[in-house]
Formats: sequence, structure tokens, C-alpha cells
Amino acid sequence: MSATLWFVIRRTLQVIPVVLAIAALNFLLLHLAPGDAADIIAAQSGGASAEFTAELRRSFGLDLPLYQQFFVYIGRLLTFDLGFSNVQHRPVFDLIAERVPATLLLMVVSIGFALLIGVALGIISAMRHRSWVDSVVSVIALLVYATPQFWLGLMLIVLFSIMFGTLPSGGMMTIATDMSVWERAVDIGRHLILPSITLALFYVAVYARLMRASMLEIYTFDFVTTARAKGLSETRVGLVHAASNALLPVITLAGVQVGHLLGGSILIETVFGWPGLGRLVFDALLQRDLNLLLGILFISSIVVVLANLAVDLLYGFLDPRIVHQ
Amino acid sequence: MKSFLHFWRRFRRNRAALVALFVLLAITLIAIVGPYVYTVDPFEMMGRASTPPSKRFWLGTDVSGRDVLAGLIHGARVSLLIGVAASLCATLVGLIVGAVAGYYGRAVDNILMRCTDFFLTIPSFVFAVVLIAIFRPSVTNVTIAIGIVSWPPVARLVRAEFIAQREREYVLAARALGMSDIEIMIRQILPNALPPVIVVSSLLVATAILTESGLSFLGLSDPNVISWGYMIGVGRTVLRLAWWMPAIPGIAILVTVLCINLVGEGLNDALNPRVQRR
Amino acid sequence: MLKSVNSIAFAATILTLTAGTALAQSCPKTGGTLTYVYHPEPTALSTIATSAVPVAIISTKIYESLLSYEGADMKPKPSLAESWTISDDKLTYTFKLRHDVKWHDGKPFTAEDVKFSVEKIIRPYHSRGKVYFGDVASIDTPEPYTGVFKLKDPVPFFMNVFQPGEAPIMPKHAFDGVDLSTAGAVRKADIMQKPIGTGPFRFKEWRKGSDIILERNPDYWHKGHPCLDQVVLRVLPDGAARAIAVETGEVDLAPMSGLPEAEILRLSKLPQLETSKAGAEALGPNMWLEVNMREKPLSDVKVRQAISLVLDREKIVDVIWYGQGTPARGPIVSANPTYFNKALKPYEYNPKKANALLDEAGYKRDADGVRFKMTQNFLPYGENWVRLAEYVRQELGKVGIVVETQSLDLGGWLKAIYTDWNFNITSTFSHNYSDPSIGVERTFTSSNIKKGATFTNSMGYKNARVDELFAKAAREMDPKARKAQFDEIQQILHNDLPVIFLVELSYTHVWNKRVHGLITNGISMYSSWDSVWKD
Repeated sequence: MSATLWFVIRRTLQVIPVVLAIAALNFLLLHLAPGDAADIIAAQSGGASAEFTAELRRSFGLDLPLYQQFFVYIGRLLTFDLGFSNVQHRPVFDLIAERVPATLLLMVVSIGFALLIGVALGIISAMRHRSWVDSVVSVIALLVYATPQFWLGLMLIVLFSIMFGTLPSGGMMTIATDMSVWERAVDIGRHLILPSITLALFYVAVYARLMRASMLEIYTFDFVTTARAKGLSETRVGLVHAASNALLPVITLAGVQVGHLLGGSILIETVFGWPGLGRLVFDALLQRDLNLLLGILFISSIVVVLANLAVDLLYGFLDPRIVHQ
Repeated sequence: MKSFLHFWRRFRRNRAALVALFVLLAITLIAIVGPYVYTVDPFEMMGRASTPPSKRFWLGTDVSGRDVLAGLIHGARVSLLIGVAASLCATLVGLIVGAVAGYYGRAVDNILMRCTDFFLTIPSFVFAVVLIAIFRPSVTNVTIAIGIVSWPPVARLVRAEFIAQREREYVLAARALGMSDIEIMIRQILPNALPPVIVVSSLLVATAILTESGLSFLGLSDPNVISWGYMIGVGRTVLRLAWWMPAIPGIAILVTVLCINLVGEGLNDALNPRVQRR
Repeated sequence: MLKSVNSIAFAATILTLTAGTALAQSCPKTGGTLTYVYHPEPTALSTIATSAVPVAIISTKIYESLLSYEGADMKPKPSLAESWTISDDKLTYTFKLRHDVKWHDGKPFTAEDVKFSVEKIIRPYHSRGKVYFGDVASIDTPEPYTGVFKLKDPVPFFMNVFQPGEAPIMPKHAFDGVDLSTAGAVRKADIMQKPIGTGPFRFKEWRKGSDIILERNPDYWHKGHPCLDQVVLRVLPDGAARAIAVETGEVDLAPMSGLPEAEILRLSKLPQLETSKAGAEALGPNMWLEVNMREKPLSDVKVRQAISLVLDREKIVDVIWYGQGTPARGPIVSANPTYFNKALKPYEYNPKKANALLDEAGYKRDADGVRFKMTQNFLPYGENWVRLAEYVRQELGKVGIVVETQSLDLGGWLKAIYTDWNFNITSTFSHNYSDPSIGVERTFTSSNIKKGATFTNSMGYKNARVDELFAKAAREMDPKARKAQFDEIQQILHNDLPVIFLVELSYTHVWNKRVHGLITNGISMYSSWDSVWKD
């Protein structure tokens, strides 16, 4: 137990330098960029005097030497202060916080959908190995791997929103303001269908393939042979013995792919006008909203680090050999 | 030559890969000679805006009345070029990092793998977007940015191969003969470690093309050249009026990437026969 | 009662006119919600924080200034000031304020608020504050409802500046405890997000990323107004979705070219909708290619004329801006009812002549047909500007000028153009605003060659006569003489081409015909809408 505890502590401590490195990298990269928030505000106002811009720069602390700005930045991070968005005139933390629910909703629904369908397809493909089902799933997976996600989203809009007119093409809810809670939930659900399918489809393919491969591998193990020898039905062998064991790598992968999912959601949120974090990244970037970008990149990298940590710890508990490595 | 024939015989067995290879060669041919055969300038406002496919414009015109077919042909060049170059870039960095880490082990390995893990931590597409926005979109910068975000998996793979090979007898023998480390890495281990790397970097071409299209779609592409992702982005604004405009370049990407993936699988079958196909 | 309204808005005008003068006193119909759609979302609810379009639209319903305006030529009308006198030497402006005005929080409005707003907030922190109030020597408040502005020198456009978006009067008491010495502290003040104004609508709710709701101010000084119960802004990032919302009647209005041009073109044909380019005359957006004249060959006027000759302005308007604009003839837009110089000829499209001019200037084609190479940037404000850059590159290429396009985001672009002057040509646009001395002068006088000041004379254009004329016009109180000065300026700039004037952009508003009384003056969308009503 103490070895496990020691492993947890050590593994958690290892996260700190990574987090610091991420902060440093983000900070340096973004400061390499020409132009700053003071220029942007001056421009939005249809132009301003040089003194006006200089005054803005001074009041935002953008005239300090770079290393001082960095220390200010790190110091703030330690108190969970992500700074103030000079373009949006609001605290970065608030801006991120209000976008998180939308992105979280989209990501959770997509991942859930992808796991459910992907795992199911994987199990069927493995159990009906080399059947037509298996082939169809493989071909679809190949096609999905080759399809740009955002383009798929556009084509789904063309099909379901423009041609059939059954689903909304963008946004998160209808404009009408007089809706009951239930109507609102249904409304959001309808808006969620296309973006979440678009985002999920790639992962459906990934999980189906992985689930299939990992089940086929488990089929070669002794305990499966034993189970079969005991006369258990093939369905029981497949579902209970093989599938439950094959699930672990799939869930692990889902944890590791959080960063990938976040990247995909930038494009998907842009296509569907989904008011989430991914869109905020892009908007912040175009407006060169340094503090906001730093905040978002920092938070999203932290999320990835934590997801990886969780996966590692999970493995540590399940496979004690790793602890002693 | 003989080994190539051997390889070809194995590769040929995968029918899908074979067909894909020919399609891919055709696309490459179009990319190389197409612009000289079909000489229409893809940026020239030729006709009315947003017209559907017709006799004069086989694939219709875009929002500024430019020939979509010309765009598709010129775009093939850019998409393939960036895909291949970015993959090479990532492979090269991955090879160097992975080889050094795997061969030397210990502290060097530790440091290099920490770096690799660090790069794996940052959400790669977000990272690419940031890099290009800062260093401005040009063909070179887009290529480098995609390379920078895609090398870590290569490094991990190469490292694993090098670790597996470094204690082999032929390596020990080479060391005993007094070969330098660099010689051993390049002359002795690399050829043996290469087959899986070739497969991965061929698949990286596909990923790079997809990434490039996503970046172009967001407007982060070189404004002096036309690419497929850019064409989708242009068509997006008139999705409601002219759905075919974004559909056409998307299909081009789909076909190309599909073929690369299939060829990659074929390469895998031919080069890594130990791994049985399931 | 309405003047100079563009023909497209004519139907609406007739309706308003038949309602007659009674309109000024009472609403034909009261109640209802006007929902308008715009993107991007405002970043604040005060034009002090930024006078970007989305902020200006919403905050002008909440805040008022001393005056309101009528007609495209912006005739001053009472607002917070019920009357005013101007001394003969044009140096003293005395405003008598209304006695019955209350802030949205119930506190009374007085001349102290006016003095405070102008001296402590607008002059230092509004982006044009120094242009408007730089010549104000003092503001006296002899009694609570009188404000006396004393000027150091006469300012011919002084009566133009009291617009709700340009000189919003803010409550002094809301800034208690705010450090007024830095822009940052003022921008972070609570009131920037939770406004307290005197206008016909008061702030109710802001659901970030979705909508802002303003409700009727029951204590509004203009009795019986506003006609509407609510004004709601819906933020929809997707252009096509915005168009559909307008088309289906889910929203009533898409102001200030808030829809993609292709969609505006489509919607303008629908019977239930009204489309108008009128109502933005006092903004006057004008688009051009800014030319860095510091180096050869662009320092040569013949080269600039050649560039002008190969760009087909009609085509740019029709194909790239879907007809939403007018070919430009000079620095002042032709919709300006007072100062546009009608003698200016339209620019010619003639590539042959351009080739001849370039030969004449000594830039002959080399073996590859290339005369010279240069780079271009473009304003990163969206699709159209990319299309324009592609067109410019294409057309200049045909006469042997090889152009390489560089894509920068807004921060990088601003720095390259206005701080580093590191560019050859770039597209950009600028507003005329309500007077050429406010909006035009800043681009063309040599005193505005200032590193780090955005949207100024990045070209390095120096013309002593132009400088002299602008300086005179800024102080000229005789309207005729002033008009003559601006006429001459326009003619010089038309010929000199320090920028390649391309298109007078339009701010096109699309609204449902059930809404009435929107177009009232040259800043219709930046007006209070207190008399706008809905069927």
C-alpha cells in the first residue's frame, strides 16, 4: 500500500514541472507575436491617438520587461487568477467558465455516444469476425478516418438542415425566450444532435477498431479457451469474458484523447456556431487576446495533464508492476 | 532489386492497397502536370459567381466566379506537398529524438522522453493554430507547424525500436569493431528500425493533409496559393445556396486520405510480415 | 420630418410621414419587443470601453448625450439639453438641461454629471475624446441645470459631437471609488458591464454568449416614450443562421450589415422585409488600399495611378461585396450630403492605360513579363477582404506587378501597418464620421504620420497644401468657405492617390416591415429608438 501511495505522490509531483513548462511555453510563444491588446482596442474604436494606445499599454502592464510580465503571470496563476481579458473587458476566468458548460456538454455527449456505439460495433465485429458486419464496420471506419470532421459537419448541415429541414444548422438553442424547462432541454438536445454526431463519428471508428483488436487478442488467451471448454455459450464468452477485459484499453484511450477531442471541437464549434471553449480559442486568437488565450491554453493543457495522470494512476492500481518500475 | 521484388509481391497481395496506390499515383500526376494541361488560373474571376456545374465550368464556379476545377487541380499540389513535407519533417525530428533517446538510454532518454511527453500533452490542433497565427500562414510555416505537433509518436516508436535493437549481437559486434555511435545508429540500427517507421510516416501524410485542411478552413492558410481546405472554407459561406461548392474539395480530400491510409496498410503488410492481419 | 432618406427606405418613410407630426408627441402603437441580431457579441455596454459597432448599437439605447439628431445631415435636436445658445465668437456654448431626467437607478441627473462625463471620462478615455473636447478650456455649471462649454478656439463641428455613442453622459455617482487616473481601472468599472443611463431603455439582463435584454424605462423624460417594451439583442455567430432568423421573423432587425452580403442580396427580394443602406451617412465607411509611399516604385504617382486603373471598382462591389457598396471617388463618401465634392469623376478602369503609365514611369517588363514585385496585406476582418486581396493580386499580376499576399491577424496587421510601417499596400477602411475634420483628416495630414497610432497616415503622405487646408477647415466657421476647402482637398487626394480609393461600403440594415421609424438620421442604429414602434 505504501508503495502505491508513494507512486501516487511521485506521479502527481511529476505533473508540476510539466504544468510550469506549459505555462512558460504558452507565455513565450504568445509574446513572440507582433501586436498586442492595446492595439486591438484602439483599432476597434476606429483608431486612436498614439498616446491613447500607450496609456492603454501602460495600464495593462504590457510595457513591463518580458520577464517581469512572466513573473506577474506565474504569481497570478498560483492564486488561480488567470488575469483580465483586455479585449473583452472581463476576467479571463469568467469568460472561460461561461463557455465550459457548452463544451463539456458537447464533449461528454460525443464521447458517451462514441463509446457506446464504438464498443458495441467493436464487440459485434470481433464476435462475428470476418463476417459481413465486420467488413462493413471496417470499411466505414476507413472512410471515417479519411473524412475531415468539419467537412462532414457541413455535409450533415446540407442534408439534415437544408435539404430535409429537420434539424437546426447551428447555435445551441432557438431564439424564442418563452420556453418551459422541458421544452428548452428538448430544444438544446435537437441542436446537439448534429455537432455531437460529427465530433463523435471519428471516435466511433477508433473505438470500434480498438475494441475489435483487443477482443481478438483476448480470444487467444487461455482463460477464454478454458471458458469455452467449460461449455459456456459463445455470446457469454464474448460479452462477459472478452469484452469486459478488452474495455480497459478503450477507456484508457478515451482518457488520453481529451486533448485531441478539444482540438476537434474548435473546428466543430466553428462549423456549428456552438458557443463553447473551442470557439473561444479561435476568437481569442484572431483578436490577439493574450490573457484569454493564455488562460484557455493553460486550462486545456492542465485538463490533458490531469486526464493522463488519472489514466496512469488507474493503471498503477490495476497493474501493480508499474508501481515498482 | 530482388528485395524490392519480394516487397512488391507481398504488397500486391493486398488488393485494396494496390488499387489505392494507382489512384494515389493518378492524383499525384494531376498535381504535378495538371496545372500545365488545364491552364485556367484558379484565382481568375471567370464567370458568374456560385454557378452549378455546367459545360463551361465542369465543377461550377465559386463565390467570386472562379473555376472550381482549376482550384481542385492547383489545390492538389498544395495539399499533397504540405502533407508529404510535414510528414517528412515530423519523421526526421522523431527519428533523431527517438534514436538518441533509445540508443543512449538513461538520463538522455529520460530528458528527451519528458520533452516528448510534454509535447504530447499540449492539445495538438490548438497548438498548431497558435503557432501559425503567431508566425503567419505561409506554406513553409504551415508545414513546420504540422511537423512540430506530429513528431512525438514517431519519436516514441523509434525509441522503442532502438531499445529493442541496441543489445542485439550485430550492434555489439559493430561496437567491438570500433564503429562510432553515429555510424552504428545510422548504418546498423536504422535500416532494421525503419520498416515500422515508414508505415507510420506514410499514415502521417494522411493526418497532415487532414490537419492542413482544418487549418485552411479556419482561414489559416497561405493566401497566395489555393488548397482544398481553403476551398471548403470559401464554399461554407454559401452552403445554403451552393452545397456542391464545399462538397467537391471535401471529396477530393476524402479520396486522397483514404488511398494513403490503404497504401499505408499495404506497406504494413509487406514490411512487417510478423504482425499477422486480423 | 425626415430628410434625405435613401429610396430603399422610402416606403417606411411614407408610413412615418403619414403618421404626421403627431408622431413626435405619441407612439402610433406601444408595447412589443424589438429583437435584433448581431455578431460579435458586445464586449461592454459603454462606448467608453470601446466604440466597436456591437457596443455602440446597444449602449446608445441606454445612454444619451446632450443632443439628438435629425436627418442625414444631422440637424441638432434637443435631448438631455432642451435648448442651447452659441455666443457670436463661437467660443461659448450654453446648454440648458432638462429638469425632469432621472438616472436608471432613480438618482437625479444634473449638470455635474455632464461636466464629470466630458472632463473625466469622455475626453481622456473615449477613443475620439481628444478630437471632440481637446479645445474645451472649461465647463462651468453656474446652476444645476446649466452647462457652459468655453472653447479655446472655434470648433466648426462642435454641435456634431454630442451623439449618444460619441459623448455619452454617464452618472458621476457610479464612479465613486473608481480610480479615474488609468484607462484600465475605468474599463474595469462595474458600470461598463451593468450600465446606468438616462435613455429610453434600461439594462435588464445579459446572458453571455446568447442575448442582452433591455426593458422600457418607465421614468423616461420623453413622456409616452419609448414605444417599445423591450429591446433584445440576440448573438448568433453563424451568418446563415442570422439570415434565417430574420427571414422567418424570429428577429426583427439585422442592423449595420450584420448579415453576410450574399444573404442580404437574397433577403432584399423578400416581401416581408425592408432593406436600406440609408441611416449611416454620418458614419461613412470608405474602403481603400493604403500605399506605403516611402519607397519606390509606389512613391511614383504614375505607378499609383496605374494600380488604380487596373482595379475594376464596379466588379469589386458587385462580385466581392454583392452590390453592397458604391465605387469610391475620393476620401469623402458620396452619401455625405454636405461635403462630398460632386465634381470628382469616377475612377476609370483601363488596364491598357495602366501598362502605358508603367512603361512611362520606367518600370518596363523583364523577360518574364514582370515589372516589379511587392507585398500586400489585407485587413483581417473576414472573407470579403481575403477575396479582395486575391482580386488585387490577380489584376496587378496581369500588368506585370507581382504581388505576394501576407496574411496577418489583427494584432500583427495593426503593428505592421501602423507601428512598423512595414508594408507595401494594404486594404483597410475608415469612417468619415459626422465631419471630415473628425474622420478624414486623421488619414491624410502629415501631422498624423505617427508611429503606433492606428488608422492614421501610414502612407507617409506629405502635402503641404492638404495640411494647410485641413488646418484651416478645422477652424473655419463659414460653411461656404469650409465646403470650398474640403472640395479642394478631395480633388488633390483624388489625383494624388495616397491611397487607392476603392469602395464606399454600405451599412445595410434589414428589418421586418412590422417595425417602423428606424431610419431617422445619419446614425440611425446609434440613436435611442425611443420612437421606434412595432405593429
